[in-house]
Amino acid sequence: MKRLLFLAAFLLTAGALTLPVSPSVGSPAGSTCAVGDGPPRYYAIDLVTTRRLPGARMARGKADVVFARSPFGLALSADGSYVYELLISIDNLAPARNGAYVAWVTTPQLDQRVRLGALDADHKVSGSVGWNKFLVVVTLEDDEAEGAQSWTGPVVVRGMSRSGLMHTQAGHGPFEAEPCAVYGY
Amino acid sequence: MKYLMRHLTVALVILSPIVAMGQDHNMMNHAGMEMGAGDSLAWRMPPMNMSMPMLPGLENAVPVVGPFLAGQGMNPMIFPEGEPRRVVEMADGDTLHLEASLIRRTIGEKVFVMYGYNRQYPGPLIRAERGSEVTVHFTNNIELPTTVHWHGLRLDNASDGVPGVTQPPVLRGESFTYQLKFPDTGIYWYHPHMREDIQQDLGLYGNMLVDPENEGYYSPVNREEVLVLDDLLVDATGIIPYGDEAPTHALMGRFGNVMLTNGMTDYGLSVQRGEVVRFYITNVANSRTFNLVFEGARAKIVASDVSKYEREDYVSSVVIAPAERYVVEVLFDEPGTFSIKNKVQAINHFRGVFYPEEHLLGTVEVGEDAVSVSHREEFEMARVNLDVAEDLLRYRSEFDRTPDHTLELTLRVKGLPLPIVRSMEIDTLYVPPVEWNDAMPMMNWLSSAEQVDWVIRDVDTGRENMDIDWSFGVGDVVKIRVFNNPKSFHPMHHPFHIHGQRFLVVSMDGVKNPNLVWKDTAIVPVGSTMDFLVDMSNPGDWMAHCHIAEHLHSGMMLGFSVTEGDRSQ
Repeated sequence: MKRLLFLAAFLLTAGALTLPVSPSVGSPAGSTCAVGDGPPRYYAIDLVTTRRLPGARMARGKADVVFARSPFGLALSADGSYVYELLISIDNLAPARNGAYVAWVTTPQLDQRVRLGALDADHKVSGSVGWNKFLVVVTLEDDEAEGAQSWTGPVVVRGMSRSGLMHTQAGHGPFEAEPCAVYGY
Repeated sequence: MKYLMRHLTVALVILSPIVAMGQDHNMMNHAGMEMGAGDSLAWRMPPMNMSMPMLPGLENAVPVVGPFLAGQGMNPMIFPEGEPRRVVEMADGDTLHLEASLIRRTIGEKVFVMYGYNRQYPGPLIRAERGSEVTVHFTNNIELPTTVHWHGLRLDNASDGVPGVTQPPVLRGESFTYQLKFPDTGIYWYHPHMREDIQQDLGLYGNMLVDPENEGYYSPVNREEVLVLDDLLVDATGIIPYGDEAPTHALMGRFGNVMLTNGMTDYGLSVQRGEVVRFYITNVANSRTFNLVFEGARAKIVASDVSKYEREDYVSSVVIAPAERYVVEVLFDEPGTFSIKNKVQAINHFRGVFYPEEHLLGTVEVGEDAVSVSHREEFEMARVNLDVAEDLLRYRSEFDRTPDHTLELTLRVKGLPLPIVRSMEIDTLYVPPVEWNDAMPMMNWLSSAEQVDWVIRDVDTGRENMDIDWSFGVGDVVKIRVFNNPKSFHPMHHPFHIHGQRFLVVSMDGVKNPNLVWKDTAIVPVGSTMDFLVDMSNPGDWMAHCHIAEHLHSGMMLGFSVTEGDRSQ
């Protein structure tokens, strides 16, 4: 009996010390997602209206994101940031009566802004961005704002790069007990 | 082939002379670098920049495989000190004796037991002329079975160095003779094709520089330098042990924390002002993609794995994935001391932010005196290489056709600690970084090849990895579409290598490649679809695989055969 109790205690202890492991997780055979030969849908940025302008309340659009042309395939800048080519197109947008629609990219902190260009008659424009996380905005400017450092007009549509979804794990998930404030959030 | 590979793996585990020693949980130290003294073979978590709490539930976890280190238990001083690489000029018909053995290496102020070819780091630089053929008589004197793969060479299949496919493993004390052919000008490299995660990481790599037959193949330069980029994972106790039965770091690959250029931490070059230097660069790291920046200088990309580019191009950095090579000409125009750096955006997984990270890879001293023969004028001219364009002519009609095969890159995991899986399931890392050496090293370290299946899936047949067995005929031009699934459980950029053949990356995400170059390895970014046009010119049984060493050993490889007279299937 003593032996049995010892054995049971040993097994219980051993079980408690054993790290729980997962069953098989991942992509099952034959469940491939669609393979295309165009811009990856995964990185595409949805552009949503701010509903601030007449003629733009129903506007919607997207920015296709592909790596910029590079002899290395994977395009990186000298500081190691990804370099992307954005192909922006907006639907359901009334033509600008006074001024021009201009596309911009900006960092999440809004501390750096770069003009991509004015939308053409089909409300399309392309340009490159050299940040890993960024926002896309299209504004209504008095003119095409060539050479401008920032926008001055109202934002018509906006969107966020896929990487913009990244956030701290403090305060939730396996780190639920970690106070966000400790990490500056 | 699959049968052979499986049995070979089992046999190697049994033959492995290394016995895993006890696992000392007390050696775990969250701070990494502050480990106490002790047996260096004990598992201990790799030292990293810890700016986050330990993932709950993993405080005392260690990999499920045993630890392995070269020459463990033996006094390092009994091994000969490694020597810097020497150049071996080889003429047609020459023979080289190459030996893999244990050596003593001093890196920084630390002494390690590592491996070397002919006791050198990197291995001897074989220099030969295009079109020549040489013999390499190889002997294995390390404790592990090994082979030598001659990466990028379109040589005879029997000399490709793949265990279980083209040759049996070379056991300790045994020899194997390789016949090398050099049909293409450029920079190539050799390395083991068994447990690269250990053997290559510990120093078994070397270059082959194939010179052109004609003088005007490249622009004139003042100097040529062969650079080999690597990294090594160490802590205060020594090299972090490798997995014995199977690799650790199976998820992201083993990133090192000590950068090595030509095996050294203090690579230096002295040039005169105005010199143009042609660098032949190879990335031999297990997993790290470098973003190489020559500060204070201008760089021009000239060639890659198996040919020159159609057009030379000026670049601000050189992005080089594992196993890739690039030929870059650099003009050092201003006097002073300049750094060669790896500059990336690292990831703080916990905070969900990218941050800049730099590693010093070398230093260039540029003298005040101007170089006597200036090649600035040639440097300022970006050449259009008509010989490359002419070679591409017969392939252009194939660029736009429907792919013959489509591959998806993905993975499955099984038996990983639950905290890791749960953490990955709620991961917010929506854009994978180039640099994975982040604040969650335990997740990567704890994943072994026994728990992770990296998968190459043939979309048309559903077959995976070595169950894929394509057949082609010599002369076939095969279009292979490769899609790196961003929604896989753990997406990563994969450097995809095809043995024995050359290929073009004709398009990426639907955008045609405007400046082609022949490759044998190309990085497939997460979410991207790349179309490879493969010139099936070389008969035999070949492999294609991810060149992240830990991914290869987690199954990410396929086989194909090229036979005389047959058409593709």
